[in-house]
Amino acid sequence: MITVLFLALLQLGASQGTPLTGAALDQRTNEIAALLRCPVCQGMSVADSPSTVALDMKQHVRDLLAKGYTQEQILAEFERSYGQFVLLKPKTPVVWLLPVIALLIGVAVLVMKLRKLEAVPTRDPRPATSDPYLDRVRQLVEDK
Amino acid sequence: MNRSVLIVGSLIGVALLGVLFLALGKDPQHIDSPLIGHPAPAFSLKAVGTGQTIDLEKLRGRPVIINFWATWCGPCYDEHPTLVQNAQLLGDQVQFVGVVFNDTEDKIQSFLRERGSAYPTLLDQQGKTAIAYGVGGVPETFFLNRQGTIVAKYAGPMSSNDIQNNLKKALQ
Repeated sequence: MITVLFLALLQLGASQGTPLTGAALDQRTNEIAALLRCPVCQGMSVADSPSTVALDMKQHVRDLLAKGYTQEQILAEFERSYGQFVLLKPKTPVVWLLPVIALLIGVAVLVMKLRKLEAVPTRDPRPATSDPYLDRVRQLVEDK
Repeated sequence: MNRSVLIVGSLIGVALLGVLFLALGKDPQHIDSPLIGHPAPAFSLKAVGTGQTIDLEKLRGRPVIINFWATWCGPCYDEHPTLVQNAQLLGDQVQFVGVVFNDTEDKIQSFLRERGSAYPTLLDQQGKTAIAYGVGGVPETFFLNRQGTIVAKYAGPMSSNDIQNNLKKALQ
């Protein structure tokens, strides 16, 4: 049997949770794997991907949970190796707020423009002419 | 057309074209490794064939090139002769290490018998070392300087020029 001394685990520090077993371990493994992006897939989570890399990552999540590491510790461990790319949920909620902020700015600009348009005096539909004949015709039409 | 609308529209258009231009020719799957500039994750793995355990910590003092590969990876077949040739050329100046994951020892030994070998090949049986290095696909290669810091990562099969160019960073 191959001896694997995974010293990098030391970077994780001491586990801060309770070691999981059985059904709870399965459930938490799937929940955390669903938060990780499969690095060789197109927008799939580690939980959903059948690729060998994703299976290894899922097994690693399972091993860490069994040792008592918390979700935060596990996600931080993957982020250290793969970067924020590996996290399917952004760390900062600002990302979710940006589209709403952009929409509000758009609505504000639209309202300002509409108010400006309302403030502009409506033009006289009858252009002034210097022709007394045309003026007389228009007057007759309006009087009718 | 309203002048302010024209200016804002032009600015947005230029910004979008700029983003498009910057992204042209780039692999959308490529991600810069967050490990660059940081100490290489430690590992201690068994060498294929000899059974000797190789500890990364003990390789410090000279640049190390860690190549992740597998026998089921097509581009790894193309890259292998280049790696062997460069390892022979550079001799003791640089330590090459192959790390194979998601593979079997029999297949690796057969591969190395047929195609030659010039440096230790280690088996990462559970893929934990590959995960620690953020490996997505193979081949992927990491260049470590004498202090054991990762200075470069190369995704895909390398040419001799790629090896030399990245090795320069490790030798600085």
